[in-house]
This record gives sequence, structure tokens and C-alpha cells, in this order.
Amino acid sequence: MADHLLLGKWGEDLAEKKLMDQGWKILGRNISFKGGELDIVARDEKELVMVEVRTRTFGKIMPPECSVGPDKLRKLVRAGKYYVLKNKWEGPWRIDLIAITVEENENVRIEHFPDITYGGAY
Amino acid sequence: MNAVLGVTLKGVDAIKVEVEVEITGGLFAISIVGLPDAAVRESKERVRAALRTLGIPIRGRVAVNLAPADLPKEGALLDLPIAVGMAKSTGALRFSRPSVFMGELALDGRLRAVRGAVPAAIMAREKGLDLFIPEDNAHEVSLVHGVNAFKVPDLRSLIDYFRGDLELQRVKNDFKADQQKKIEPDFSDIKGQAAAKRALEIAAAGHHNVLLIGSPGSGKTLLARALRGILPPLSDEELMEVMLVRSTVGISSSRGRERPFRPIHHTASAVAICGGGTNLRPGEISMAHRGVLFLDEFTEFRRDLLESLRQPLEDGEIVVSRSAGSVTYPAQVLLAVACNPCPCGWFGDPVEQCRCSSNDIERYQKKLSGPILDRIDLYVPVPRLTPEELLSLEGKCGESSEAIRERVCRARSLQLERWSDIGSGSNSELPEKILRTRLGLSREARSFLGSVAGTLKLSGRGISRVLKVSRTIADLDSSVEISTAHISEALAYRQTGFLS
Repeated sequence: MADHLLLGKWGEDLAEKKLMDQGWKILGRNISFKGGELDIVARDEKELVMVEVRTRTFGKIMPPECSVGPDKLRKLVRAGKYYVLKNKWEGPWRIDLIAITVEENENVRIEHFPDITYGGAY
Repeated sequence: MNAVLGVTLKGVDAIKVEVEVEITGGLFAISIVGLPDAAVRESKERVRAALRTLGIPIRGRVAVNLAPADLPKEGALLDLPIAVGMAKSTGALRFSRPSVFMGELALDGRLRAVRGAVPAAIMAREKGLDLFIPEDNAHEVSLVHGVNAFKVPDLRSLIDYFRGDLELQRVKNDFKADQQKKIEPDFSDIKGQAAAKRALEIAAAGHHNVLLIGSPGSGKTLLARALRGILPPLSDEELMEVMLVRSTVGISSSRGRERPFRPIHHTASAVAICGGGTNLRPGEISMAHRGVLFLDEFTEFRRDLLESLRQPLEDGEIVVSRSAGSVTYPAQVLLAVACNPCPCGWFGDPVEQCRCSSNDIERYQKKLSGPILDRIDLYVPVPRLTPEELLSLEGKCGESSEAIRERVCRARSLQLERWSDIGSGSNSELPEKILRTRLGLSREARSFLGSVAGTLKLSGRGISRVLKVSRTIADLDSSVEISTAHISEALAYRQTGFLS
């Protein structure tokens, strides 16, 4: 596996662990559909959450959360809709972003951005 | 089921709008249907933010329906009912009486004043509904008697109120009109012009249209502005009508019982004066309802604009029809106009020589069409004073505005009393039928008018206008009967072919 894919996998594992520590129930990992993939699907109390994980090492120009643009958001929404339909989920759902940065001194920073489509900007 | 109600404006009427909210699962999104305009569509952002500040997060897919579906909804006043509807469907509040809500939401949940509070209050009163309004609209609503209205400072107080944790203040019917401020210029500041002052007094007393004509600098504009100071105060009913228009446009004014005075510049567009526009707003003529519409430099106005005033001047209301619908606005105005007698302005002046050719004058005269001039009751020449008269320090300038106003008020209250049963406030609005039967025309005066009308070539409207003016002159005299003297004074102000 290429380095950047390994880093991504490592980041997703880290994110999954964090969510489980928070008490979320993990429903699935790396669920792909035609035209989109969901990194983590979890339950946060009453809501279904599709989590997109972005991992980057320090030194890149932009932080990881900036790498999710409108196209990626649209893909996430589409994949989310597929998932919801397929699994017959009728309650509210949302899309979260977990951004992981590996800093210069090997320090790992994890940031959680809930509901990135809130307000309808996708 | 208790519907959440809002209002939208159509003309000066408020139309009830039912707000229905359905929340289903899904990715968060708010969609508003029911022909919302841009301001209503944007309300979703304000509502969402306001509800979130109160700790009522909205999740899932939200559909807001504004019924009736085919009525276009406008304005930010639907923010509050939409927010209440959402809060209600999440179960955050419940209420037992059908209620009307109005108000624009700030992002932190405060309520801002909106247009249309007075029409909404009237609608709520007729339908027996509770009304919840922003605090800043309370002043106007206090004018409407018998409405069960509550002042709402912010969304949180409203929710606490429905949970029974808080009492909201009721709007009391304690509308207080401020004391009328002194209006400059005062009539006593104006030298000479006794005839013009008398004509303006008659105009103010009977709400008659008046034309001031004179050379440049003779004081036409000054006199017209002084007219404000002698207008009688608005009666309760008139005040209500004026507030209704003001509220529709969204100007909350503390002018109290002072009559509107709207000076118009001649570059104004027909829509600005008559009303209209994409969202159908009242124009200047409706803003001047029960007051004065002042057109200075009358001949400079566009011809089509002047002609468009013909119908409202006669009917006292204006019907604005557009593809978006047709609405009726009140337009009972006292039309005051001022103009020069010719393009150079000096025609008929005792000192200066007129430089206009007869062609110029004819073209100038043509701008004032017969039908418009026929609707003017009082033609008032404003002659130029000599420099000696103007500069002299002694000599009386005549009565003060206050003294004239007292006489005007007395004459107006006579009219109010006499016409109370037909719902007319002044002589100028009398219907034709009443005019014939209840005017109190003396036998001599009748035969006098009969003999003169033929010579002066008075039109039917001309005759009834002369009768109305003479009734006002008789009222200023506190006389029950209209005598020959009253008729002849009224006729003196009615000069056809004023330029000849």
C-alpha cells in the first residue's frame, strides 16, 4: 500500500477509536457506493452520522479540513442518501468531518467538525 | 389543532396566512413553499439561528408550507410564525388559542419591528384572534381598539409565555398623540397676500383642492408650506386610516394627529405617486391620504402623471392593477399645486415685462389640462408685493396660524357633526345626492347660481364644486344657510381660463 493510503487508514482507525471512546456506536467502515465512499458510519444518540476522515502530515500548505470542497461534499451527500435508503433509516442524519494532523514533533491533533452541511451550503 | 397564523399584506389589508411545518428525517434542510418572496425565503436562516440560540435545535428535513398556496407572501414579518411553527412541531411549545404572530427575527432571537402591524391588528380583531407583535410596533397597534394584542420582546419570552413561565404585556389602547408642534412658516410671518390666506383657510376648512399661481418669488411655496399649520387635527377615524397606510409602508411616525403633508418633486415617477411596483406599495397620493399632496412647479410635471391623478382626485381612492393583482389604496387628498403663469413667469406682473410669445404661453397652458383644472376648487393668484411693502417693518402681517386654525377647526367640527350619518368628514367628499338635498342653499342663492352658471360655462362638476366650497365658506361663517354672498365668494375662486 502506498504511503498516503497507509496514513489515511491509520487516521481512520484513530478517528474510529475516538468516536468509540465518546460512546458512539460504529455501524460501518469504508462503505463504498458508485460515486462515493463513507469512511465511518456511526450513531450519535438519535442521529446517524457519516464521518469523513482527513489525515495530513505537517508541512502541507493547507490544513486537512480544507481539502473537502463542494464536489466532495456533494459526493458525501449522495453516498449518505444511498446508505440511508439502503438501510431504511428514517430519522435525521448528518455528515461530520474529523481532521487529523500529524505535527512536526510527532504530535497528533484531532479536530471534530460536526454537521458540515448545516445551512445547506453544498 | 391550533394553527400557527401569520399575515401578509394585500393593499392595506392583512390576509391570514396559515403556517404549517413538517419535520422528517434526513439531512438538515429547510424548504419554504407557498410563493415566498426573497425576504420570506431568507427567513429560514434567521429562524434557524434564532431557534438555535434558544436551545431548540432543528434537525432533519423541514418543510414549511404557507397557505393559501396561491397567494404571494412578502416581507420579513413571517419570521416569527415560521419559528413558532417549527418550535411547535418539535414539541417545544404548545398553545390553546388560535393566534396570529408577526415579527422579524434577529439572529439572537430578538424581534424587530415590521410593516403592517395596524392591518394585522384589524384583521385579528375581526376574526377574534390573539395577536403577538414586536414591542416596537406596540405604539401603532395601541390605536386599534378591541384587539387582544401582546408585546413580544424576543422569541424566548414568547416560548416562556406559552410554557406558562412568563406573562407578556398586553398592548393597551392608550394611543397618545403628541401635542402638535409649531409649524414654520407661520401665517403671521407672511406679508400681505390676504386673499391667498383666506383661500387657504377655506381649503383647509373644507379639504378643497387649491392652485396658487403667481410670478417667481411671490410667495407661493411659502404659503403652501404655511398651509400645514392651519390644517385641523385628524379625527380618530382619520388617524386610523392614516396609520393604516403608514404601517403598510413601514414608517412609524410620531407625528400624532398632524395631517400628512407630502411635497412632491416634479421628477417623481407615476408609480411613486400612484403606488405600484413589484410588491405593490402605496404611492405618495396614498401617503398624503387625509392630508395635503403638494405639487410645486405643477407645470413641470409630466403630463401623463398629472392625468393619472384625475381618477383618485374624484374618487378618493386609487386602484392599482398589476399582473400581481389589483389593490385599492385610500387617496383622499387635498391637492395643493403651485405654478407660474407662463414660461418666463412674469405674465401679468405689474413691474416685470413678460418675454413669452403667445405661442409659448399657449403651449404652457396646454400642460394644465381641462379635467385637472376642473378638479381644482380654488384658484388663487399670488401677486408680487412691492419692495416697499416687503421691506417695511411696521404694518400688520395678519393673523397667526393658530388663530386661523381655530376657525378652521370650528368649521370642520360643524361638518363632522352635520355629515356624521353619512360617514363623511369634510364638505369636499360629499356625495352628489346629499349635495342636492341637504346643503342648506337659500332660495336667492339658488337662483343666483342658476343665472351665473350659464354665463361662466360651469360644468356639472364645476357647479357641485362651487356648492361644496360655498358650504365651507358658510361653515367658516357659522351660518346654517348658504347665502348669495357665500356663493359669490366661491365663484370668485373659480376662474376658468385663468391666464386670459
